[in-house]
Amino acid sequence: MNLSSLLSKKRINLSLKPGKKEAVIRELVYSIKKGEDAELIISTLLKREELGSTGIGKGIAIPHCRSLAVEKLEIAVGRTLKPINFKSIDKKPVSLIFLIIAPPQDPGNQYLITLGKIVQIAKEITKKNLIQKPKTPEEFISLINDLEKGLKRRK
Amino acid sequence: MNEDLTQAHLKLLFDLDNLIDDMEEPKYQKIGFKVENEARLLLLRKRNDLLKKLPKELAEIYERLKKRYHQAIAPVENGFCLGCFQQLPTQLLTRSQEIITCPNCGRILYWRKK
Ligand SMILES: [Zn+2]
Repeated sequence: MNLSSLLSKKRINLSLKPGKKEAVIRELVYSIKKGEDAELIISTLLKREELGSTGIGKGIAIPHCRSLAVEKLEIAVGRTLKPINFKSIDKKPVSLIFLIIAPPQDPGNQYLITLGKIVQIAKEITKKNLIQKPKTPEEFISLINDLEKGLKRRK
Repeated sequence: MNEDLTQAHLKLLFDLDNLIDDMEEPKYQKIGFKVENEARLLLLRKRNDLLKKLPKELAEIYERLKKRYHQAIAPVENGFCLGCFQQLPTQLLTRSQEIITCPNCGRILYWRKK
């Protein structure tokens, strides 16, 4: 499964209002689910963050969890207009966030495979200094697509 | 106890249990997310507190099912239990407000809000 095929333009917000970590997570979750379902997802994501920040360093965070509230793997992407504090491992502020929610039943372990892929892509993005490059959701998806192809070729 | 609140506690408990499971999965750790052990113990404690908030009978059912199946709750999709993939009797499908178990496998059923 290609990562780029899991992305949807509607769930990529490249001009996210900067704010507290929680508020930014909330906004991204609400692009996937509303109401009670969204609140369940947010509670679980924040519990995950308490275990150790998913801010993997160099300006990128990848909050993630499984939740009963989704029926398939969902991804939302946000880039904040200004970097925000995400309590990242390198203590640097974050401006690009990949948020991943997977259903509890997950045959084939799609969740962990996708999570691993996003971490790899995120490292490419920081290495090549591409966080600010895409100007539209379309450009963002095609960037991910290119990076993904590049990683495949290297294997 | 308020039925909605019980349902909310039950769902969060289930999500937390899956979170705890993932933390212990070597494949997860290999991806490179750091989990602090102290925080993990705290999460286990929160999980147990949440369990205590459920009516005693339900908490017991949940723990029994978790032991047996690992995942105590199964979502319902198109009238099927996603735990055992059996079709549920139609009279069950109209009772999505209550906490019901699958007549075939016994898992607690979860109806998604449409
Ligand atoms: Zn069943």
